[in-house]
Amino acid sequence: MTNQPAHIVSAQIVAGHDGEAELSLSIRYENGVVGQVTLDPETGFDVMRACGASDLAGLQGAAWRDIQKRLEADV
Amino acid sequence: MYDLLIKNGLVVDGTGAPGSRADVAVKDGRIAAVGPGLTGDARQTLDAAGRVVAPGFIDPHTHFDVQLLWDGQARPSLEHGVTSVIPGNCSLSLAPLKAKDRPALIGMFQQIEEMPPEAFTEAFDWTWEDFAGYRAAIEKSLSINVAPLVGHSVIRLWVMGPDAQQRAARPDEIAAMQGLLRECLEAGAIGLSTSFVDVDENARPVPSRFAHFDELDGLCAVLGEYGRMLQIVPEFYDTDITIARIDQLAELSIKHNIPTTFSPLFVQSQNPDNAPRAMARVAEQFARGARVWAQMQTRPIDISFSLLRPSLFFAGRGSWMRTLRQPLAQRIADLKNPETVARLIADAGPNGGGSTFGGLIVRGGDEAPADLVGRTLGEIAAERGQNPAEALIAISLAHGLDVAFLAAGRGHDSTQIIGPMLASPLMHIGAGDGGAHLASFSTYGDTGYLFSEFVRKAGAMTLEEAVHKITAHTAEVWGIKDRGTLKAGFAADIVVFDPDTIDRDEEVPVFDMPGDGMRYTRGSIGVDTVVVNGQVAWRDGGYSDSRSGQICQIN
Repeated sequence: MTNQPAHIVSAQIVAGHDGEAELSLSIRYENGVVGQVTLDPETGFDVMRACGASDLAGLQGAAWRDIQKRLEADV
Repeated sequence: MYDLLIKNGLVVDGTGAPGSRADVAVKDGRIAAVGPGLTGDARQTLDAAGRVVAPGFIDPHTHFDVQLLWDGQARPSLEHGVTSVIPGNCSLSLAPLKAKDRPALIGMFQQIEEMPPEAFTEAFDWTWEDFAGYRAAIEKSLSINVAPLVGHSVIRLWVMGPDAQQRAARPDEIAAMQGLLRECLEAGAIGLSTSFVDVDENARPVPSRFAHFDELDGLCAVLGEYGRMLQIVPEFYDTDITIARIDQLAELSIKHNIPTTFSPLFVQSQNPDNAPRAMARVAEQFARGARVWAQMQTRPIDISFSLLRPSLFFAGRGSWMRTLRQPLAQRIADLKNPETVARLIADAGPNGGGSTFGGLIVRGGDEAPADLVGRTLGEIAAERGQNPAEALIAISLAHGLDVAFLAAGRGHDSTQIIGPMLASPLMHIGAGDGGAHLASFSTYGDTGYLFSEFVRKAGAMTLEEAVHKITAHTAEVWGIKDRGTLKAGFAADIVVFDPDTIDRDEEVPVFDMPGDGMRYTRGSIGVDTVVVNGQVAWRDGGYSDSRSGQICQIN
């Protein structure tokens, strides 16, 4: 257990199935497990905006729950 | 007298058995004999010395549904040695479809296939609503064999109308869908496709995504009456959900005694456990008696972008992201501003983006001048005395930003990992998407790449194993009758190729879609002759006028 809320530990750009660049995030959860999620371009841009990140480095440390709240607020 | 005699070739019959010097005789569209030193007259004799003679390749994951209405050869698939294609994947087929629902389906197809609108308004007449009518519409001019899937989304659309994209189905609607599916299977559909991922042109989930499990279960019960295939697109961006779908497919496979397949499955460098975990679960489920075939494509994935619209390709470089996310007019103004350009170059990495941008390839099919197409930014920049970042900006500005760049091999590109997976008896080689993503990248020539990359270069499988995977194995998985093996009595689908050179050619833009629409395509290398049901359909670089393609019969 890390007692830290789920947060982004790293981000990278990967090739999507349809030839577009997509955003792949490594997320460390409260129990210490690191999982991967790959976001399509639209969602990737939304997450970057929600984090106020202008580049990949700006995503590191962002709390996943906060991102979700901001995205829901945008909707 | 034989119709065709192919002599002196190395016959690789599709079973996986070692190749042997033999002749292949054809009569009345069927293989008449296979063996050494065949005698007897033939109307046409081909010398295949130094060449492999194999069954025609079968492509199990295509979207040729629309193209087949004006191009019965499914160009360029045929010239790559593909003699049978399976369209209708990912929940979308062109039938059954009521006339009033055509606009809705066109939007979905345009999203997936990137086909120009003229393809649906000028290239053919909509003469059908039911599946048998669609079959009749394509059947009259086929040069390639077709085993069409029926799409779950269109079945839903037929029964539920606009509600298909809003809610789960009621029991009476599920019953109606079952009846409609039965009708499609009777008319020759090889199975049902569904998708948990795809969206329409407005980013709304396609109808199949609104189905609850009882609906899919009910449809699979009908598939079970015929022993036909269920194809799905799982949430392939998430390993855990993909594994959950594998389990779901296994339950359906065992309960209804049907084969199932999911596509695509990618090897991901950022998530290296993805494919191994999925395949481990597939193996577990096969051990339980389920049939759940993973489909993996052979070719790597490229990233394509232009400066016309924002791309996450630049997400690692903040100044580029900020600039390129400006509205178009402001973006162009910024890219013309020397101070902004200096900042972008500084943020591009060492040597003005040498490693980031130097390997990018200028693509055609847009406003890019022909003399730049196919060349790397590094080469062009050096020639101009610029750095790659400057060249990227200058070339884009000179053409209204409408120049596409390609970052090649940015995903699913680890031959060492992919090779053994493709060779696995539980892996189904496919997921190529022929006929889709037209304006983004070429979806053709994956079979040639299989031989060049995984047989010759990596030695991940033998020539015979590779042929088996894309012929007899595919026919067995899908239950395609009397195809995929060079055996007396089977359909005479044959490809003659040079094992030392067979490959895919360079990707090029062509304007051969209706309305002069553009698509990316690839020619074949090393494929001499392609025979479909006994007639030569491709030879020495040219298509014949043969129209010998058929709708495949199912076991």
